[in-house]
Amino acid sequence: MSLKTLGFGVRASIVAALAVLAIYAGLILSLLWFLDPEILRRTLWSARSLFSIRLSLYAATLVTLLALALAIPAAYALARYRFWGKEATEIVLEFPLIISPAALGATILIFFNNPVGEWIQENIVYFVFNVAGIVLAQLITVLGLAVRMLKAAFESVPPELETVAQTLGAGRTYAFLTVTLPLAKNGLLAALILIWAKALGEFGATLMVAGSMAMRTETLPIAIFMRLSSADIEATVALILILVVIGLTALLIARRLLAGSARA
Amino acid sequence: MLEIDGLIAQVGHFRLGEVSLAVAPGSCHAVVGPSGSGKSTLLGAILGTLPVLRGYIRLAGEDLTALPIERRQIGYVPQQLGLFPHLSVRANLLYSARARRVPEPVYGPLLARLLEITGIGGLLDRRIQTLSGGERQRVALVRALVAKPRLVLLDEPFSALNESLRRELWWLVKELQQEQGLTVMLVTHDLTEAYSLADQITVLIDGRQEQSGDKAAIYRRPASLAVARFLGLKNLFPARAQTPGLLDCPAFGVQLRIKDSKVEGEELWVGIRAEHVAVRRPNDPLRPDETRLSGYFERILDLGDSAMLHLRTPSGALLEIRCRHRLLRSYAIQEGKMGIVGLPADELFVIRS
Repeated sequence: MSLKTLGFGVRASIVAALAVLAIYAGLILSLLWFLDPEILRRTLWSARSLFSIRLSLYAATLVTLLALALAIPAAYALARYRFWGKEATEIVLEFPLIISPAALGATILIFFNNPVGEWIQENIVYFVFNVAGIVLAQLITVLGLAVRMLKAAFESVPPELETVAQTLGAGRTYAFLTVTLPLAKNGLLAALILIWAKALGEFGATLMVAGSMAMRTETLPIAIFMRLSSADIEATVALILILVVIGLTALLIARRLLAGSARA
Repeated sequence: MLEIDGLIAQVGHFRLGEVSLAVAPGSCHAVVGPSGSGKSTLLGAILGTLPVLRGYIRLAGEDLTALPIERRQIGYVPQQLGLFPHLSVRANLLYSARARRVPEPVYGPLLARLLEITGIGGLLDRRIQTLSGGERQRVALVRALVAKPRLVLLDEPFSALNESLRRELWWLVKELQQEQGLTVMLVTHDLTEAYSLADQITVLIDGRQEQSGDKAAIYRRPASLAVARFLGLKNLFPARAQTPGLLDCPAFGVQLRIKDSKVEGEELWVGIRAEHVAVRRPNDPLRPDETRLSGYFERILDLGDSAMLHLRTPSGALLEIRCRHRLLRSYAIQEGKMGIVGLPADELFVIRS
């Protein structure tokens, strides 16, 4: 169907979609104005940048695993059962979305200044201005999203299939592992990649809890902030491009995996 | 044998109670009722997906209410069939064997026989999405049966199929039931399906067990107005029993001869199935066991092999009649023409108000 035969509303909506592409693509391409290949090479291979990349990948991966470990059972319970506190839990899931990451980070920081928080820091793990703080800040930022996405994935699997599996002799765990989990695979993969990408790019809460200490709590977004603060535009551009490439690669892998599992 | 005794179950604000019925080994029991009658609640209680508030469900003498679903040994074929779309037909059929770790020599002969009866042996490597509706039904049936269930629950499994395929599967279920000696509970809102497959029928309406028993008895003698209406009976009229064997029926303005032994001096409803109303010619001799009514044929519905007639009596009552199609011509029945019908005394039944 040619564009000319389409109505005004359809054409306007297609133009809007292309405008969204133009906004983001334009922003990324504008970075090239300040791109110096030599500085990019030097920034990429500097010990400080490699530390930031390693720390970001490590923290985002750990956060994703922790978030999934907590979100899978929680999302399943929210999707399948009625229980006291269910509605409140569902409302709380929106909490990280409605308050800014900075406010969320500040809330975590304030928590560690009350007696319970101080006790945790002294006796279990020291979070503030530490790598553990990065993981905690990112985890709290992405957990709500993880539970919401996984809940939707589990809700897409008819509960009747689990009942049938049970009538065929499967215990609840066996039915979950052999029926529910494989059927929720697409949603699970999508959630995994988005959680990881969101954790990778998290800045506000991480800055509040872990601070911005070079070669210590310097994730990629923190490194970008620090380079920009010192007016090092070329290095900032180089780090942004690294973040963009890592993020886009993850999204492309996710799309491939999802397309593959949809065909299977 | 499945025995349900004084069962009460609840889902949200809906309460099902009290249900008592028994399904003999090797027989088929249909639970029928309109939407919201409690069929799914009863099914959930038997399966174990819903808690039982009161009463017992026993299968082969064992109380099921304390058993988890996976240990009840109930084969379940739901309306949507519940086939696992991510598994092949073979993996679907072997799911119970793998879940229970049953070795091939144990399930193999039964599976082979079931594949032979149902003719799905050539589908084993296919994916569920590639099967036709009828093939899916067969796979779901075999999957439930290969687990050697003590009871098979069929929850409207044929409702999505066309008429000829449904009939084909009814024959298949009958064959499987007889050969394997299956005890079956069929939940359906389709009366033809219930009459075709079941030996006994339970009618649930608004969460109440309205009637249970032999299907012929339920067909001929509905126990309540609600059952009669659910069974599709239109010929229901208020009446009063005056003398034994006679009913005053103001709707027709005549006394009806009746043989129903339950008749006593009280306000009643009298009914007759449309197919039991006999079309008569004016010169047909009067029969002592029949009440004659006249009127004109207001509407005629041609149903192919049969016809549905609406006879309006001079008193204004409307009688529904079902007769063979060829009678229309041989009795010269036409819309707007006068006609005579007979209500056989032994086909009239009464329902207490």
